[in-house]
Amino acid sequence: MILSVRDFAIGFQREGQNLVAVDGISFDVEAGETFVIIGESGSGKSLTGMSIAGLQPPTAFVSGSIRFKDREMLKRPDAELRKLRGPEIGLIYQDPLSSLNPVWPVGDQIAETLVAHGLAGRAEARKRAVEMLERVRIPDPRRVASAYPHEISGGMRQRAMIAMALAAGPSLLIADEPTTALDVTIKAQMLELLAELKHEMALTIILITHDMGVVAEVADRILVLYAGRIAEVGPADSIMLQPSHPYTAALMTSAMISQTPAKQELNAIVGGAPGLGAFPAGCRFHPRCPRAQNDCKAVEPPRRKFGVVELACHHPIEAAMSLTAARS
Amino acid sequence: MALLELDAVSKIFSQRRGGRAVQAVAGVSLAVGRGETLGLVGESGCGKSTLARLALKLVDVTDGRVRFDGVDVTGFASRRMLPIRRRLQAVFQDPLASLNARMTIAEVMREPFDTHGLKLGAGLEPRIRELLSFVGLENIDIQKLPGQFSGGQLQRIAIARALALEPEIIVADEPTSALDPSIQAQIVNLMLQIQRKRGISYLIISHDLDVIGHVADRIAVMYLGTIIEQGTADEIMQRPLHPYTQALLSAAPTLAARRQVGWKRIMLTGDPPNPADVPSGCRFHPRCHLARDICREKVPPLRAMPGTGQMVACHLAPEETARAGGEVGRARRGLAVAS
Amino acid sequence: MSISTQPARRTIARPKGVLLPLALLVLVILAAFTLLPGLIAPHDPIALAMADRLKPPSLTHIFGTDEGGRDVFSRIVYGTRYSLGVAIAIVFASALFGVIYGAVSGMARQGIDNLMMRIVDLFFGFPALVLALAVAASIGRGLDSVALSLAIIWWPGYARLVRGEVLRLRERPHVEAARALGVSEMTILRRHIIPFVVQEVNVRITTDIGYALVAVTALSFLGLGANSPTPEWGLLIRDSRPYFGSAWWYLVFPGTMIMLTATAFSLIGDALASRRAA
Repeated sequence: MILSVRDFAIGFQREGQNLVAVDGISFDVEAGETFVIIGESGSGKSLTGMSIAGLQPPTAFVSGSIRFKDREMLKRPDAELRKLRGPEIGLIYQDPLSSLNPVWPVGDQIAETLVAHGLAGRAEARKRAVEMLERVRIPDPRRVASAYPHEISGGMRQRAMIAMALAAGPSLLIADEPTTALDVTIKAQMLELLAELKHEMALTIILITHDMGVVAEVADRILVLYAGRIAEVGPADSIMLQPSHPYTAALMTSAMISQTPAKQELNAIVGGAPGLGAFPAGCRFHPRCPRAQNDCKAVEPPRRKFGVVELACHHPIEAAMSLTAARS
Repeated sequence: MALLELDAVSKIFSQRRGGRAVQAVAGVSLAVGRGETLGLVGESGCGKSTLARLALKLVDVTDGRVRFDGVDVTGFASRRMLPIRRRLQAVFQDPLASLNARMTIAEVMREPFDTHGLKLGAGLEPRIRELLSFVGLENIDIQKLPGQFSGGQLQRIAIARALALEPEIIVADEPTSALDPSIQAQIVNLMLQIQRKRGISYLIISHDLDVIGHVADRIAVMYLGTIIEQGTADEIMQRPLHPYTQALLSAAPTLAARRQVGWKRIMLTGDPPNPADVPSGCRFHPRCHLARDICREKVPPLRAMPGTGQMVACHLAPEETARAGGEVGRARRGLAVAS
Repeated sequence: MSISTQPARRTIARPKGVLLPLALLVLVILAAFTLLPGLIAPHDPIALAMADRLKPPSLTHIFGTDEGGRDVFSRIVYGTRYSLGVAIAIVFASALFGVIYGAVSGMARQGIDNLMMRIVDLFFGFPALVLALAVAASIGRGLDSVALSLAIIWWPGYARLVRGEVLRLRERPHVEAARALGVSEMTILRRHIIPFVVQEVNVRITTDIGYALVAVTALSFLGLGANSPTPEWGLLIRDSRPYFGSAWWYLVFPGTMIMLTATAFSLIGDALASRRAA
């Protein structure tokens, strides 16, 4: 186990009110797996991912525990967290420009992470930066190393960002919506690259996304977040193909369009996700849930084991009724 | 007769500071019939949004004709376009950005009536309520500002506004792309339901093949300003013949693909092309795994495949592309690939 | 709910907490000075009282007196009308003209737009001091010539701001949506563009009043503006120079007043800007 999150909560104080964005979630990430956190806007998925790297917003209140390789991340001073980001934890984002400095050649930026962490001298770091660019399959890495971010194409920038995140040899890579802004053909290239790098560098990947296609492609295990709570967590195959939580089942609909006969009504859930501070009582999904009953309105479902997954639902979908079963 | 017809339209944007002119759309012909849905698929920078704006007459064509219900509206000034606009409406990608943030929903909804001089008097508010409930927003407070609604609600409002004038066709540019997955399905359902009830036509533009494949009768695939393949939705989704369409279809991973063992996607190399720097011959050749000399030298015309209405702009179709196309289509539907 | 109420590390205190109310207080005081100088000023700002020449601050003259025995505090109170009043007039006149000019330019065809912007560039490049000297030479020294010359170099800033905003807003999806609906260009400008431009202009006006005040007082200080015995703040400083060694209060209080006013408007402008961004 490389990461262990226990009763993690994060919130903000706004106009004298405590608004809780993520409300007491627990999960483990095993070394070497691709762990995907799925959720829609406002579910708290990015906040969770950023907090693992110690990058939660400075105004946030946090509680609980996030242990990475037996180090407590939540109560660690900034300087120490900074030492971990790079050699232990790498980060990639949706927008590569948010992590690349526009006025610095790409190669120098990658080299700088090595120098800053005392992993190499200047000359050595520069050489390793070029190697790293080669490793992310950039043709002509020497030229790209001396180019500024605006001089290379969007796809190259994405790769350069990955090279920078992985240069110092982290064991954990946190990827926050890395493919959301990309076209499908470029997205496919990125996913393939990540899969290869994961294998070559023995990475553990935490991927945060709402793109079910990407999830289908790479996930080993999946955590489904809804309104700051865990809906369901478990192996990817069962979550995707036999979702037990009604919310998960509804989410998978969007990935099932190609299996719904053309022009027919899709199996959609009603309404929208609740905003921060407007989470309903009882099960937070109940106002949108087709299976909701009276107990769902009153009692928040506890987390429990259900087959191979763990979920928080009073009336989960039995395997026999799940999507695949119904179709085959 | 087609309701909306683009006849060999081109659009060249000349850049301000002596930059090169960019041909965003290069001789595209498309027609949307009554009650029909035409889906236009392509990646960013392929010119699909420009094409939408040409069809809506929001920008003027550099070359070619735009016809609406048989009338050539290419040179129509905004005053002459007004009666056409009543019949031709639009829905855009980002619902929050496409509504004026300082106007209440009531003001947003009455704008189409004011603009077209439709006097409903006391009947206006009931009409607005009726439109909003038609798109599934029964009890919203119409005195609120757009910022107080969710993305899904706002897209419904944008659709209700487009429906206010009872148009015959709606041009929708990425109508679901900015929405959360659970909301996308709702909007797809709403658009299908509107078509069933009103017999409206759609020109839907998207990069999302899943959505297009589900809602469209016919699909056109755009690459670097040109249409490279066109056909019925079944043809395109089940047996794409252009290598680019095949790559697009196989690149978008689906749940079905997860179950496919031994399924290999067609991977495109290189970056999306730059409209300011168009390759010679077939525009797709630098990224195509089948490319050979003829592709580098000669522009392939969009031509009909024997025995079907499918049109493909590829020198090698269908002989060398049909097998791969069938496999991509099967894999996508979660069927076993024959091999 | 298991949330601790201890803030996480790296909490940054919001600096605006105390400063903004202070700036607003300064604004209220300035308004009172401008509107009711007779009620606030304890002495006549103009009448000479040579017996009280250059007295240091005391209970009767809290800011001391000048070389003519006049109460510096009263002169500052009465001077608000001139210094701040002229600054406000300059900014409002520039904004009004600049907004109209910028909006027309932003909506016009490219050729006309280009021509209009070249004219703006011409004014932009003009040095304020030279222009003020020229205006003073032709219509005479005085606050009116200061106001005129500053307005001439001030409006192009608004024209550029507004044109830029209009061009940006014209491409915004909500404007495109209105166009697709068939809304006329005039209505688009009025309903879908101007309200957003006004927001920007309001911020700019607030910040600019401070700058204009500094410019007005600077020109007066250089002898191009108000004439004695007008109690204009820049002129007070000019007149105080010979006595700085012996009567510090004569220079320090008007100077502080200019600084406080400029800072207050700048802070309020920042607050408006950040509220609009939120």
